Amino acid sequence: MRLLVIEDERKTAEYVKRGLEESGYTVDVANNGVDGLHLAMENDYELIVLDVMLPRLDGWGVVKQLRNSKETPVLFLTARDDIDDRVKGLELGGDDYLLKPFAFVELLARIRTLLRRGPVRDVEHLSLGDLEIDAIRRRVRRAGQRIELTPREFALLYLLATRRGEVLSRTQIASHVWDMNFDSDTNVVDVAIRRLRAKIDDAHTLKLIHTVRGMGYVLDIDEPD
Amino acid sequence: MHLSLSARLALIFSLITVLSLSLAGVVLFNALTHQLLGQSDLALQLKVRHLCQLAGELDSTLAIRDHQERLVALALGDPELALRIETTEGTVLIDHDPSHIGMIALPAAPACERAASGPVQHWSAAGTVPVSGVASMAKLRDGSGLKVGVARSMSDQAQLLNSYRNIIFATVASTTLIAVVLCYLFVRRALVPLRAIAASAQSITAERLDSRIDVSSAPLELHDLAQTLNAMLQRLQQGFDRLWQFTVDLAHDLRTPIGNMRGASEVALARTRSATDYRALLASNIEECDRVTRMIENVLFLARAESPQFALHRSQFDAGEELQRIAEYFDGISAESGVQVQVSGHAQIYADRELFRRAVSNLFANALRYTPRDETICMVAAESTLGASIRVQNPGEGIAAADLGKVFDRFYRGDEARSNSGTSNGLGLAIVKTIVEIHGGTALARSEVGTTAFELHFPAFRDGTAAGSI
Repeated sequence: MRLLVIEDERKTAEYVKRGLEESGYTVDVANNGVDGLHLAMENDYELIVLDVMLPRLDGWGVVKQLRNSKETPVLFLTARDDIDDRVKGLELGGDDYLLKPFAFVELLARIRTLLRRGPVRDVEHLSLGDLEIDAIRRRVRRAGQRIELTPREFALLYLLATRRGEVLSRTQIASHVWDMNFDSDTNVVDVAIRRLRAKIDDAHTLKLIHTVRGMGYVLDIDEPD
Repeated sequence: MHLSLSARLALIFSLITVLSLSLAGVVLFNALTHQLLGQSDLALQLKVRHLCQLAGELDSTLAIRDHQERLVALALGDPELALRIETTEGTVLIDHDPSHIGMIALPAAPACERAASGPVQHWSAAGTVPVSGVASMAKLRDGSGLKVGVARSMSDQAQLLNSYRNIIFATVASTTLIAVVLCYLFVRRALVPLRAIAASAQSITAERLDSRIDVSSAPLELHDLAQTLNAMLQRLQQGFDRLWQFTVDLAHDLRTPIGNMRGASEVALARTRSATDYRALLASNIEECDRVTRMIENVLFLARAESPQFALHRSQFDAGEELQRIAEYFDGISAESGVQVQVSGHAQIYADRELFRRAVSNLFANALRYTPRDETICMVAAESTLGASIRVQNPGEGIAAADLGKVFDRFYRGDEARSNSGTSNGLGLAIVKTIVEIHGGTALARSEVGTTAFELHFPAFRDGTAAGSI
């Protein structure tokens, strides 16, 4: 899948390109609005990551002109956090926005969500190795053994399982599981993961919940490299 | 128009002067005119009556012609006067007009035994010279009628009135000018203390916010102004001091994580290390970045929340349920710290749910930090006619009375050594206070020996539809 990153800050563009390429995307980079718009019109990208503050033509201008002929999804990166700016970005035809500075896993998650197109389907049955999740009856078994989870623990496990292999940041987890949309200076998520691990992983040699230090948590059979 | 106060006052004063002097001038001028005209009219009427009496003594119209010289001499003796005597048929018997006034046809008063004169008429001869004239009917001995008219040029009186009017104009103009100048000078003099206040206000800059305006030297009317300005300076100074302190604290707190990143990276680069070591370093750097990011986010939140454009997304909800939810969110870490949580009460509240959660979460996280093992944190929601109140209470060492007022300050930490700076950035309670205040409420901290309580009061909603429904 081919993505376009329009970002004038060299270091940001560099690491975003590298990170996305390592996540399996082909990435082109433009350093200003005019070049970016040109590339976006010439090629068929699956998605455009667009900085708002750009030399020569800003992000609003790019998306406005792009929308005359193309419907490529656009993810805005913005250092401004006024609600008005966000609304403006979405009204002009942006599909999502992310505030700078952002965690890379957050960017990856947003890109994946946009590329998935359409709402995530609730999966009734999930299995991962010997872990089985019955979403309807809210039951979890590991190696055939029933595991009792509190509703929040179940929500946490279900979130990790539906995003199997995807690193989820603490902020994302707090927002999805508890609907807490702000950074509290506490380690609530870490503790919740620890308690979930005690029930899911402790009795087994094959660990499923992995910590990606500095980034977040992931549920998978293999340890992430 | 932006005129100075002195100019404006002088202008208003001069307008008043012009108006009152003009009014006086007009009244005086009119009175004089009236009197002068009245006198000359009376003189004319007497003249006509005299002529009529003289004519009455004559036998016929023929006799008039004979006595022309006598009549003219008798009646006039004044070169400005004109005389015309005609018969009822219109035949002119005498037309004496030495100064060419040009007699017009005057309506004559009817003849009677006692010769009466008609109303005095006024016109202009040759378009410019004002003339007054009067006519009357006279009866001769033979019974025939005569019309006697007398007119007089009024140019001498007009001249008198003209020069009088000019004097009035000149007086009004010069008096006004003097009044304006004097008024301007006096107003300027009266405003000297105001300029003194302005001058001392001008000398106040961000670096010299401690200087104040001298109230005692200002006149009584300006005391309030000077005192208000001083109070404003006081507030500004406090705000500046707080901002300065805030900047210093912020810089200090930013230095720690950045120093950590730099130091750890330098040490790591000093020699070749294993991939695991590098990975650990990067992860540690990310943690430090997260700290910085959180701090920036918090500072930005405080800055935006205090701007008047900040938009609250209010809805109505049960605060008690939210407390349950927050307790559940902190369930894990409370259990790990060996602390019980007790939630009770209900209260309908009209607030921004997200911000409410943030405020209470910060209070709870703070309480958890200071609660000893095996103790209980109480969260209570209560409702009264005044609004909803939330109390988060925890046992612990408590806060010294002297520090109670400071707990909501930015970067205030109970422990001077900042031992917690990794987990607490000292902005949590400042954010709580800001959130409550933008809802129009108040935040309070109480502490007694062995227990600390934070109370948030949210005012009752105005529409009152849901107040007291639970």
